[in-house]
Amino acid sequence: MPHSSSAPRLRLTALVAAVVIVVAGCAGDLATGDLQGVVIEDPTPKPSFTLTDTQGEPYEFASETEGRLTLLYFGYLNCPDICPVHLAQIAEVFDRDPQIARETDVVFVSVDPDRDSPAEIREFLDRFDTEFIGLTGTRQELDAAQTAAGVSKAVLVGEGEDYTVDHAGQVIAYGPDGLNHAIYPFGVRQSEWANDLAILAGIEG
Amino acid sequence: MKRPALFLALAAGVLVTGCLGSEGIDVTEARVGAPTGPNAALYFTASNDGDEPDVLIGVSTDVAGTVELHETTHGDDGTMGMRPVTSLDLPAGETLTLEPGGLHVMLIDVEPLEEGDRITVTLHWQSAGEMGVETEVVSPADTMGHGDG
Repeated sequence: MPHSSSAPRLRLTALVAAVVIVVAGCAGDLATGDLQGVVIEDPTPKPSFTLTDTQGEPYEFASETEGRLTLLYFGYLNCPDICPVHLAQIAEVFDRDPQIARETDVVFVSVDPDRDSPAEIREFLDRFDTEFIGLTGTRQELDAAQTAAGVSKAVLVGEGEDYTVDHAGQVIAYGPDGLNHAIYPFGVRQSEWANDLAILAGIEG
Repeated sequence: MKRPALFLALAAGVLVTGCLGSEGIDVTEARVGAPTGPNAALYFTASNDGDEPDVLIGVSTDVAGTVELHETTHGDDGTMGMRPVTSLDLPAGETLTLEPGGLHVMLIDVEPLEEGDRITVTLHWQSAGEMGVETEVVSPADTMGHGDG
């Protein structure tokens, strides 16, 4: 079998590479194929809901985070297992990549309004990253926010002061285009966050 | 005459089991996530290389008001929660892994702990008895166990 000379092969490789780059550049959704989170095949729009931030100011989620890579997570402060691990993972990725940190809004919604005051939510989040945004609201407002975000509503379990809260375990990621491209169930590794946040940040708004 | 003999045999059995248990159970990877609220979680791996099963019936420590064994639940709809469990079985030859998203020891009303602190917890085994374990306080991100956290 005759061997082709190396020069044409090199040119062909260059041509293929160029085409791939052009295609990848045009269609943002090609890059999302490399996401390691749970990819949403038909990305859904960022929900609209209004809650109260840790300064006591109204916070309209869709407009406040418009054009920004946004991570939305529902949890509660007494949660020792899932919530701190999710938030600490993201905070450590931010520590290593300040540019991604600057481009990303992390919005934590407490679904335990009876126990978690805005000041306590602020103190909790500051242990991870002082830029993380904390929200709370009335139970009715929180139910509406969870429904709008497409997650199951949190449920209190147990009696007395030591009740626990069953809540959505996944972090919801919205690209700068305002669409939910992927979700991150519990167990995501920092390397996966680093990979995916870089891709998501590059989705044109 | 039979009763004292039976009692002796039982006592000896308990003693022997106790010895085997304490020799057979090896606790590694003990870690506590630095508390970010009133509670913190303790994780570890316990392997039973002995010939007898054992049961973890409790954990105690001076740094928490209350200590409970918890199991994290995973709903079909993506919700997660936690439920207290009364004990954790550790069959002979097997390994019991406590890790985020699975089983944890919940330290309730825990003292303020910082990363790098070392605390002592006592594991209470049904057969092996009390076992003191020294554990380090780490970032919650580093409680995930193997891998890059």
